[in-house]
Amino acid sequence: MASISEMYDVGWEEMRDKLRKWREDNCRNSEQIVDVGEELISEHASKLGDDIWIIYEQVMIAALDCSRDDLALTCLQELRKQFPDSHRVKRLSGMRLEALERYDEANKHYDAILQDDPTNTAARKRKISILKAQGKSTEAIRELNEYLEQRLYCCSSQRKSRGERIISHYGKAAFCLEELMMTNPHNHLYCEQYAEVKYTQGGLENLELSRKYFAQALRLNNRNMRALFGLYMSASHIAASPKVSAKVKKDNVKYAAWAATQINRAYKLAGRGTKENKCSMKAVEEMLESMQITMS
Amino acid sequence: MGEVELSCRAYIKMFLHSCLFPRCSINGLLLSSSPAGGAVCVTDCVPMLHSHLPLAPITQLALTQVDVWCSQTQQRIVGYYQANACVSDSSPTQCALKIADKIAEQFDNAVLLMLDGGKMSPDYRVPPIVMYERKDSRWMLKDKHTIMLRQWEETRAIASQMLESGDHMLLVDFDSHLDDITKDWTNQKLNTKIAELASPANGNI
Repeated sequence: MASISEMYDVGWEEMRDKLRKWREDNCRNSEQIVDVGEELISEHASKLGDDIWIIYEQVMIAALDCSRDDLALTCLQELRKQFPDSHRVKRLSGMRLEALERYDEANKHYDAILQDDPTNTAARKRKISILKAQGKSTEAIRELNEYLEQRLYCCSSQRKSRGERIISHYGKAAFCLEELMMTNPHNHLYCEQYAEVKYTQGGLENLELSRKYFAQALRLNNRNMRALFGLYMSASHIAASPKVSAKVKKDNVKYAAWAATQINRAYKLAGRGTKENKCSMKAVEEMLESMQITMS
Repeated sequence: MGEVELSCRAYIKMFLHSCLFPRCSINGLLLSSSPAGGAVCVTDCVPMLHSHLPLAPITQLALTQVDVWCSQTQQRIVGYYQANACVSDSSPTQCALKIADKIAEQFDNAVLLMLDGGKMSPDYRVPPIVMYERKDSRWMLKDKHTIMLRQWEETRAIASQMLESGDHMLLVDFDSHLDDITKDWTNQKLNTKIAELASPANGNI
């Protein structure tokens, strides 16, 4: 089988740079990381200098994701030799045990880290991940709440908390998203997700909020199709409600019409032809009369 | 209740959908092109979501679009499938039950299918699926003997082969379609590939 460097005609520096980019972007393309990283480590280790340690860590985690315990162990052993007392490496050992579903042993590792260093956020997060993997959602959410309340403020745990909470309580999910939007005002994805939660909660007030946030998401990124459809659907729902004033109805009919035009245009540009556009628009109109799913 | 038959195409697309997003909960709709009455033949499926399954807007959108597409192509929505991110738990979630309820409102013999992630490895010879049917407003486990997969060995072999060759990367679900609307959520290309690999006896489509 051809090597990565042969297949893609790249040198070791490009492979190293690719790994760095994936690290920086926090990509979880584990299969690719394993392919590139394994080759880099086995054939060009000597050229990597100090970079090799962070590459071992990156490849090890990706290997766990792909059930490549052989590769994960190799990386882990190198890291253990180089950094024998490191908490960071101990956490990696714990992760390997998690991948092998030896959760009790993994928890022992994390508890040991936390005894030494109670503020170690990585270890706390891993313990919460174990609860999640075991299907103990309620406990996981409780642990996450405690963690957040202790003001160890961290964006990724907010995101995770929101993910968990969507399953249990839309109000709390909305709260997490509000916090995320405050700290990341230019992120169209948080706006759009907040709008989706509000839409799901239902009721006129929530629908109006959802419409506003779909619109905001579109201002931040006018190519966000979910936001566009969301705007159309929320505005249509509001316009169809018997509780709104004539003015509100008129305004929302306008918003919905604008959204519909944008959607049609987008599908035309995508080369799908008018026939399919008509289907999509008809589909959304029909939806308002037939299948209405409220999740609360 | 009645018998349910699951086609090669439907099974393979569900299987590939779950393989494409192994760390996510995924769901989709089960379709039939067979006339109503008698056994329910699930002839196709439409992969829907791989993120935020319990949120309403995109689910509503997908359901409506699939509904319209079905009426144009002489198909109907006959069920719902889901695979949970947590492999050890293959029980239907609240969201699964609600969507399945909605489908059952339109089609009496609707089925709810859960993929059992724990049984999807090559060691298992039986289909990794658990099916539910509606009885007295509740979803009850279906008798295994009323579930048919024709040519199961061949279907299983094709599924593994397609996974090995990376064909799961070709699969488009509704979520991916919204990220790039040039992508086809009816997965015509994949359907063709499956048809090429399946023997005539395995295709009732």
